[in-house]
Amino acid sequence: MEHIAMILRKPPYGDINAAEAVRHALGGVSGEFKVSLIMTDGGALLAKKGQDETGTGFTNLGAALKDCIDMDVEVLVEQSSLMENNISEGDIVDGVRVASIDEIAQLLKKADSTMIF
Amino acid sequence: MLVIIRSAPNTTEGKRGVTLAERMGADIVLLQNGAYFAQKDNLENFSGSAFVLADDKKLRGLAAGDLEERVKNIDYGGLIDLMARSDKVLGMF
Amino acid sequence: MGKTFTLFVSTSPYSYENTETAVRIADSALNKGHTVNLIASADGVYCFLKGQKAKGILNAEEEFSQLITKGLKVYL
Repeated sequence: MEHIAMILRKPPYGDINAAEAVRHALGGVSGEFKVSLIMTDGGALLAKKGQDETGTGFTNLGAALKDCIDMDVEVLVEQSSLMENNISEGDIVDGVRVASIDEIAQLLKKADSTMIF
Repeated sequence: MLVIIRSAPNTTEGKRGVTLAERMGADIVLLQNGAYFAQKDNLENFSGSAFVLADDKKLRGLAAGDLEERVKNIDYGGLIDLMARSDKVLGMF
Repeated sequence: MGKTFTLFVSTSPYSYENTETAVRIADSALNKGHTVNLIASADGVYCFLKGQKAKGILNAEEEFSQLITKGLKVYL
């Protein structure tokens, strides 16, 4: 099975990148790819628990990230990016795995292709 | 004077907005990704009044325990009142 | 005494949160009896195209159309 790595570098909601990353990840697993969704830098903020879209026009991207996990997307967040964004490891969506930059580098080397958001 | 900040704390735009507001003695309103400035320790170099748009904060899962206590919650109505009261509104950074 | 708010929108409707921010600010200001102008420039003009089909995100055409009936003045 082909393996696509998707990297999200931008915080959710401020622009469309986080929504696109989640959408493509779900599309990828539905299309029988193996997908790893990797959150780095501001993208780590997508992993934060407790997002509440009530009263806004947005889709809840925290819930969409949970959907990715349920659909067997491998969801990773880069450890130092969490720290840089003041998110503790206890405050991330269940099923998101914290990974070091070295682990992510190895994963990207092995993946067949990479998409960057 | 009021400065509106829509960019995240780790961006040049966000940092520039807060620094300018500090130098001008202006108050700030945090919205969109600027809401992350309301997290603890992100406004250490700012001494004016700070407001955060509650909807944008909630959307990002920022809960009371994550936040700097002095940052006050406002809704869009509150934002309009702040803007109407200010002699000048600068933004969005 | 109402004031005048003039919003400048220069980004495309579905790539940034600016559309939502502009819609909510315009709506709230109109509700409080202020005058609201919106100047759309660059990709901001795409907010006003007819036939938009956006779902799961604020539909710019629908939202701005409603605001125009409430008194929003739009300049492209």
